[in-house]
Amino acid sequence: MSVYSYFPGCSLSSGAMEFDKSFRLVAAAFDIGLDELTDWNCCGASPAPHHWGGDLGILLPARNLHIAGSSHDSMVAPCAGCFNRLKYAQHELAHNGELRRRTERVLREPVHYQTEVLNLVQLLNREIDPGDLAGRSQGRLAGIALGTYYGCVLVRPPEIVRYDDPNNPVKMEPLLKAAGATIPHFPFKTECCGSYMGLARKEIVLQASRRIIEVTLECGIDALVTVCPLCHQNLDLRQQQINDAFGTDYHLPVLYLTQAIGLALGFSPAELGIEAHLNADVGHWTLRNDDQ
Amino acid sequence: MISFPISINEGARLLAEIEQRSGQRLSACYQCGRCTSTCVAAFAFDYPPHRLMRLLQVGMVREVLASKTAQLCLDCMTCSMRCPMKIDVAGVIETAKAVADEAGLQDTERNVRLFRRGFLNNVRRHGRLHEAGLLIWFNFKTNNPMNDVKLLPLVLRKKNFHIFPPRIKNRRQVRRLFREINGSGKQG
Repeated sequence: MSVYSYFPGCSLSSGAMEFDKSFRLVAAAFDIGLDELTDWNCCGASPAPHHWGGDLGILLPARNLHIAGSSHDSMVAPCAGCFNRLKYAQHELAHNGELRRRTERVLREPVHYQTEVLNLVQLLNREIDPGDLAGRSQGRLAGIALGTYYGCVLVRPPEIVRYDDPNNPVKMEPLLKAAGATIPHFPFKTECCGSYMGLARKEIVLQASRRIIEVTLECGIDALVTVCPLCHQNLDLRQQQINDAFGTDYHLPVLYLTQAIGLALGFSPAELGIEAHLNADVGHWTLRNDDQ
Repeated sequence: MISFPISINEGARLLAEIEQRSGQRLSACYQCGRCTSTCVAAFAFDYPPHRLMRLLQVGMVREVLASKTAQLCLDCMTCSMRCPMKIDVAGVIETAKAVADEAGLQDTERNVRLFRRGFLNNVRRHGRLHEAGLLIWFNFKTNNPMNDVKLLPLVLRKKNFHIFPPRIKNRRQVRRLFREINGSGKQG
């Protein structure tokens, strides 16, 4: 069993607790050991690199890299935002001596920043054999069309995150196909959902997310799959606000990758925390396909 | 501190600074407009991305530093991916924003700045983000108490949702990290 340092981040420990819950279930099912970082702090998310000159966007994740560096060789950050911030910090600490010195002044010891940082898709692709997943899938996702929604920060900027194609990422596909779902063409995989503007400039989020949902439905997709809690918040939690603002009547479920895989493995929507979503209506898939 | 109106010499200096810090060659932009056509937030900007690039080319730095665009850019980096001249447009906007912050320009998009400041102060205090605390603080500060309150019942369905702040043990170390940011950036 391989063990990874696990950096949940603020979202997975609060507003996106169902992401954490489903991740732990899937990890246990495939014998992936998770060792949560001790006393981790917020990675700075979107506001830190955009405020006060941006250095906090490096300093905050640097502390987490350092904690991880003293335990395991690899760490996983399922939240796409945390993953991006950690990769940025790693890059800057390697190339910017002045920032590294400032970090070390606070830590009062040499900073360990070279731990391998993995995102969720990367970790699952490494640890899960698609044949094994296909064999254990219960056929619940048969005939279900899933839209793979990657968002921005998982794949951009490519020279920092070094993961998948920044315009047309594909790495979720083998996992979801093995889980039994079909993956139709979906051109809005990396369209921005409106990011952190939900409270301060709501119309940007509602407009950006509405376009994504509209295109999703035009593609004949039953549910979106994501690994970003902020995208999830904008696309699912705010879906009623979108309906109110534009007079639409969308009821599009948005699942975390581990929830989709968890469904295929036979976990119930309640166990995976899907019932906490605004659009939790995936019961009929499981019922329909379980009966057969 | 920058004084206004910006003199021609000062404008040229700021321009060179933006070029140098972003590492981008502004003159390479030939105004094809592809950045703007990919931008999901351009409808809320005062200057769409290609026009912001043009303003910089002709030295209208003041307009750029004080723009909504510099504050509202989501940094999704789609424009940077699509630029035929491989200019990191998002990086240019981001740099303009940092320069504006350092110059103490605080008038545009006050709520967006307030949100960013509130978010980071919240993290400074607890070490992690306390979402409920941020929402209440922001609504109170913007005099908009009902903002997103309708979402609360949904959020409370998530059993782990923190009503009280999730505090880490070594908050002192996190506060020291905050003290390491360059002094000029405290405002905004």
